[in-house]
Amino acid sequence: MPIRRLPVYILLDTSGSMRGEPIHSVNVGLRAMFSALRQDPYALESVHLSIITFDIEPREYLPLTPLDGVNIGEIQAPDSGATFLGAALELLLQCVDRDLRRNTPEAKGDWRPLLFLMTDGSPSDLHAFRQAIPEVKRRDFGSIVACAAGPKARQDYLRELTDRVVTLDTLDAAAFSGFFKWVSASVAVGSSSAGLADQVSLPPPPPEIQLLP
Amino acid sequence: MARVVTCQTFEGRTVAFVDEVIGSGAMKEVYFSPDRSYIVAFYKTRPDPRARERLEMITGRYRESIFDQVGGDYWRNLFCWPTAMLEHQGRLGLVAPTYPGHFFFEHGSRNDDRLGIKGKEKEGKWFAAANLRNRFVDPRELGDWLGHLQVCLRLARAVRRLHMAGLAHSDLSYKNVLVDPSRGLACVIDVDGLVVPGKYPPDVVGTPDFIAPEVVITSHLPKDDPARQLPRRETDLHALAVLIYMYLLYRHPLRGGQVHDIDDEQRDERLAMGERALFIEHPSEPGNRIRVADAKPTELPWADTERLPFTLTGPYLSPLFQQAFVTGLRDPSQRPSANDWETALIKTVDLIQPCRNLGCEQKWYLFDNSTQPRCPFCGTAFHGQLPVLNLYSSRAEGLFRPDNRRLMVWTGQSLFAWHANSLIVPNERLAETEKARVGYFVFHAGSWWLVNERLPDLMDLATKTPAPIGGQLQLLDGQRILLAKGEGGRLVVVQMVEI
Repeated sequence: MPIRRLPVYILLDTSGSMRGEPIHSVNVGLRAMFSALRQDPYALESVHLSIITFDIEPREYLPLTPLDGVNIGEIQAPDSGATFLGAALELLLQCVDRDLRRNTPEAKGDWRPLLFLMTDGSPSDLHAFRQAIPEVKRRDFGSIVACAAGPKARQDYLRELTDRVVTLDTLDAAAFSGFFKWVSASVAVGSSSAGLADQVSLPPPPPEIQLLP
Repeated sequence: MARVVTCQTFEGRTVAFVDEVIGSGAMKEVYFSPDRSYIVAFYKTRPDPRARERLEMITGRYRESIFDQVGGDYWRNLFCWPTAMLEHQGRLGLVAPTYPGHFFFEHGSRNDDRLGIKGKEKEGKWFAAANLRNRFVDPRELGDWLGHLQVCLRLARAVRRLHMAGLAHSDLSYKNVLVDPSRGLACVIDVDGLVVPGKYPPDVVGTPDFIAPEVVITSHLPKDDPARQLPRRETDLHALAVLIYMYLLYRHPLRGGQVHDIDDEQRDERLAMGERALFIEHPSEPGNRIRVADAKPTELPWADTERLPFTLTGPYLSPLFQQAFVTGLRDPSQRPSANDWETALIKTVDLIQPCRNLGCEQKWYLFDNSTQPRCPFCGTAFHGQLPVLNLYSSRAEGLFRPDNRRLMVWTGQSLFAWHANSLIVPNERLAETEKARVGYFVFHAGSWWLVNERLPDLMDLATKTPAPIGGQLQLLDGQRILLAKGEGGRLVVVQMVEI
């Protein structure tokens, strides 16, 4: 009964502007997401999570861990600092290349990983960001969803990375909890009834989130 | 406090719901009635006229044809069936009974419910995967192997009833069947997607793990392509076989070690469940065996098909698994019917023996007819004297034919009307008077006894000694005992196995 792992990478903006209520709301949302996922027997069998945070530097906050072993503390945001999203993508590439189990003739590898990225600004290292994009696309993610949170988030940059960009109008607890609930539903979707129209698709986002065309 | 909304169903019944969503699925939002005895669910998007008509049939004629008949009450425990339709503020909805309390976790997960699942629905997946059982689910929720046999029996019976009515569920999966192994109960939910052949086509292809190979193989074709295979009765039968296999062996019958595409895991999955689907215990093609070395410790011993082969399910279920996953995998017409499963499960329950090891997790097992029987789950050997009753039934005056059916005796076991007469079947048609036991077995002072409670004809045939009601009969090797006279009346031949 070999069970494929479903690696889920979450990239979180911890730049200075996230300090205070926004990062607190992210923590609350993340914790709610973990407990929701743990109550889903399908997710519990397959989901492995990794969290990469980025501000003036990217950090592998949580290396790829099976869902039931995940124990995150309180993610902090520094007083001030830039948004090195490009560097975060480079770190993501290293992690993915290191973590991912490929199929071999003898053993089943992982499902295509999912990537969720949340930022409230725009990449300070735009050149690195643009350089990393084609590499990320080559990694064959099952799905990449970018979340532009709050009024200052630049959706146009995110759209260079993926056509699935969702926006949060505000940076409060309700908005983030809506987003993480949606992430958790997207992760768990593999166990639900599949429609007649071929591909399994993400569930419709909750009302707080607008999915851009 | 959320406000209470009162509205009328289409047939004019007044219903009420608390205006607070308690659950939300892909299709519907669900609300409790004020006393929580039923739910009201509204469709998120308006069903098309055909789906609406189907819903009218499901809450109307189909429901009546199952529930408004003799024995109809029996089905209230096996289905959560919508009872009415309504419209409120432009939204179409339905009314359905609330799931009974035993389908919600009482204890939840291990370590004081670390996962926080207490009070959540007992989705079948928790019980169908060895790793989840061993690591997470509280042992008090898991029940024993007899409970799992009973879950399967009720599930097969519910599906048989649907099929008898000319309906197909179309999306049987552990999500759409609630189970309670600790009490041996099962309940089919989400019946609003029922398929009526030639009339209402399916909305979904099914749920991964349970989609029949022919549906997977043709899923790339357009919906109206004549070669496209859609859910129907035969695909329900594949899903039913998979569910029964998983609830008895805690592993998936087609998820083995074989890799079909090393570059594309989605194609590999499609092939494994479709075109190249292969039973992990195929008798002559070993290509898809589970590699025990790759299994997690918490998947053992269930991942080890050498140690726990499907044949431990006994002489009635094993051939059905073969039929479902070997001959019937590619040939849907060969799949065992729900009625086949139900009959086999009833007969299998008569073969069960309690394990001597009080710490055995499964607590019950089937005798394997070998000279050194042992519990396949914990390895504890059987010692002592075991009476096996071979059942024969009367076809004509004085003529008894073998029923290919046995009853393994254990102390405290009950004898029922359906053992004494082959025309009585323990299902929804059983009369109230036929439900009470008619006798029981007890091991006392070194001998086995059958105590007669309600068998007027009970008699030892060799000595022509009757055993009146209130009396008892000692069981001896080779003894022939008449349980009941008349049409269908049974005779048993006792075999004493000394181990």
